[in-house]
Amino acid sequence: MAKLLKTWSSLGLAALGTAAIANAQPLDIQHNIKPSYMILADANGEGGGESGGGSQGTYTLGSTDSNAFKYEATPQIDGYIDLVLTSYEKTAHDTKRLEQAVDALLATPSTETLAAARKSWIDARPSYLKTEAFRFYGGPIDKVEGEINSWPMNEAYIDYVEGKPDAGIINDPKIKLSVDDLEGVNQKQDEKDVTIGWHAIEFLLWGQDLSATGAGNRPFTDYIAGKGNNDRRREYLKLVTAQLNVEFDELVSAWKPDNGNNYAKTLKAMPEREIIGRMVNGMAILAGYEFMSERLAVALDSGDQEDEHSCFSDNTKNDFIYDLVGIKQVWTGDTEDKKRAGLDELVRGQDAALADRIDGLIADAESKIAALGDPWDQVLAKPKGSPERNAAEAVVTALQALGTGLTDVGGKLGVLVLIPTG
Amino acid sequence: MRKLGIITASVLTLASAAAFGSQAGIVSLRDMLLAIPLTPNLGGDGTRPVSSDAAFSFQTVNSPENHQRPFSFGNRLFNTNWVEAPASVKTFDGLGPLFNRVSCSGCHTKDGRGQPPENGKGPMDSMLLRISIPGTGEHGGVMPHPGYGDQISERAVLGVKPEGRAEITYSEIPGAYVDGESFSLRKPTYSIADLGYGDLGKDVMISPRVAPAMIGLGLLEAVPSETLVALSDPQDSDGDGISGRPNEVWDAASKKKMLGRFGWKANQPNLKQQNASAAAGDMGITTTFASATSDPDMSDEFLEKLTLYTMTLAVPAQRNGQNETVKKGQALFAGMGCSGCHMSTLKSGEVTNFPELSNQTFHPFTDLLLHDMGEGLSDNRPDFAATGKEWRTTPLWGLGLIQTVNKHNFLLHDGRARGPAEAILWHGGEAEKSKEAFRNSAKADRDALITFLNSL
Repeated sequence: MAKLLKTWSSLGLAALGTAAIANAQPLDIQHNIKPSYMILADANGEGGGESGGGSQGTYTLGSTDSNAFKYEATPQIDGYIDLVLTSYEKTAHDTKRLEQAVDALLATPSTETLAAARKSWIDARPSYLKTEAFRFYGGPIDKVEGEINSWPMNEAYIDYVEGKPDAGIINDPKIKLSVDDLEGVNQKQDEKDVTIGWHAIEFLLWGQDLSATGAGNRPFTDYIAGKGNNDRRREYLKLVTAQLNVEFDELVSAWKPDNGNNYAKTLKAMPEREIIGRMVNGMAILAGYEFMSERLAVALDSGDQEDEHSCFSDNTKNDFIYDLVGIKQVWTGDTEDKKRAGLDELVRGQDAALADRIDGLIADAESKIAALGDPWDQVLAKPKGSPERNAAEAVVTALQALGTGLTDVGGKLGVLVLIPTG
Repeated sequence: MRKLGIITASVLTLASAAAFGSQAGIVSLRDMLLAIPLTPNLGGDGTRPVSSDAAFSFQTVNSPENHQRPFSFGNRLFNTNWVEAPASVKTFDGLGPLFNRVSCSGCHTKDGRGQPPENGKGPMDSMLLRISIPGTGEHGGVMPHPGYGDQISERAVLGVKPEGRAEITYSEIPGAYVDGESFSLRKPTYSIADLGYGDLGKDVMISPRVAPAMIGLGLLEAVPSETLVALSDPQDSDGDGISGRPNEVWDAASKKKMLGRFGWKANQPNLKQQNASAAAGDMGITTTFASATSDPDMSDEFLEKLTLYTMTLAVPAQRNGQNETVKKGQALFAGMGCSGCHMSTLKSGEVTNFPELSNQTFHPFTDLLLHDMGEGLSDNRPDFAATGKEWRTTPLWGLGLIQTVNKHNFLLHDGRARGPAEAILWHGGEAEKSKEAFRNSAKADRDALITFLNSL
């Protein structure tokens, strides 16, 4: 399958020629995004290698055949913008429920309110994970992803850890607690010094996962007011949860049609194939690189049980399931409650066999993911060659194949797909 | 497994330019290589047609499938922030106690190039100061400072004092092109404040080094030593004023002197040793390779994968190669003698188990040799065979994408040059004639040359 990828990449080089690159206009994609984000995104390092292919000047493949790649994709593009918008709206809705649950925990700390807050976190994750297929092309999420979903973390940078009862910002009253201050130090020195986002909240709700079999188990007493540095922990949790909502509200605003000079408008004004290029690269890089490699293969190869995406809550298998749902939604355009024109129809019109192949590859990846052991850290704890690890290797293979298939989709639609290892 | 850089000290000494060189009637290897036309595939068959801010982070496109997963894992290692032991993810702990940064990518941001701190203030985030005292150390290298070793660690784990803090002050040196346009070069002076472990003494020699970009390194490693020896001309027997010579450095694996290839003074013979040394020196991460330990922070298997990663980061394709200004600049580059050291083309040999690196023709714009660059760039700190004034020719591939990837354009070994024109104007010594040719040229020609460099 690597061969196929290579063919396309080299075709891309030959076919692109220099004119296409030379004519590429720098894209103004930063409307509606806070200036501080732009600077942070620029100053950050590679974000754990999560930058994917980055934002390419152009995704359009050239061709000597002037009739090549002629198709009408307006319904797909409109469908995509609607899909992205409604997906972020749903996420913003779910993170507001999380915030309510956190408020309830802080109002009356108890085993029950802590459990309810954890459940809200887990319930809110799917809607976000489905949006991960909108990454990897320099869109609005790529400017703020480091503020939202950074991992892995240096836990001791935030709060106490095993053997270090005084560690972290929470236990250092000299450090001011405010959104600006926490954002200011988020990944500032090091990418692992994550202070905000999903996984910071996860750590604050669960604590370190020191158990070989279960998740982290922070006691609710950590949130009883007035004790030790609890007030700082309470304030910290409140701040980062509220900030997550701010982020998603801004993403919604960036994707609302007719909302001034925002990204939806910028995208819509691009040549059709530039838009299709972004849609396909987002899916392909998530499947064929970020998900396949960064989250699965790398963890399988590192031999470390806690080398997982949602390690405090042991929720990583859900991350896998809903990342794939996100890819499928871009492919078909459809969500549970709404039908939209999808890329599948566009491809089917040109190459039915390829469309069928992608359908099959997605279904295959779905069933392989469903067969994964849960929790994921238990799979990582198993020896090489065990049935659990073999099942995980089967997911790696399925995602590689999907990445390759989506690269072929790019070729069919005349767009360059850039998977870093493809 | 890898058979690279296998060359004995005797080969290095005996082989001379004359053996391969430009005897009457025989076309020299140098001329043969220079005659090869430039193609957009600067990194040979593995080149990637990418121009995004991730342009330095792709794997060679011709890598076999079984190199993709080790590359991904190497990428993880390169980006991992090592933490102090013990931590929940045990395979990535062992940081410090002294260190410069906690990850490779901390300095080589996005696999790209480091820079000096803004205005010389603040900690060095992607460069460091090497130090030593006069004399020759073990194996012919530098003599480390008895208290501080051979580099200043600006950071340390909790409870341990950092070694010190680098300070840079710049003074502006005015100059002018022959057409009257003025320029200014900023000359840095380095000092070390807040010394944690006593005085450094009067004799200490300081050499600043920014982190170089990571692209194409496997290809540079795969150039046969014989080629580089043939390109060298230590006595300037061809009388062109350029007398490049290889560094001869200690190879820890074979316990022999080998041809140096990596580092600003070519003081490392191969990537594995370079990586292990950087892990130990810059992060305090031990390996069995570079540290006397049987319980290393980074396992042998991890070091192999990290090395595969550093071998197979692809070179981005040239942009706009057919543009008339670029073509004009390319001709000027040769005409001004730049290609005398910045060799446009090299060829790799066979690399066992690495078909993507084997027998490639590529365009690095370096000869990997040491050249006297004059007093202005001298760090006055010898390093194996390299004198204070000698530096390894820097590869120029990827030059035009540094701004895109790393959001700066600070060039040369310590980032003093603010863009390619200043970098050229700092050249002296063997490059004095070329520098003067640039300074004497018309503005349109200077601009064309820079446009060409930015297409790389």
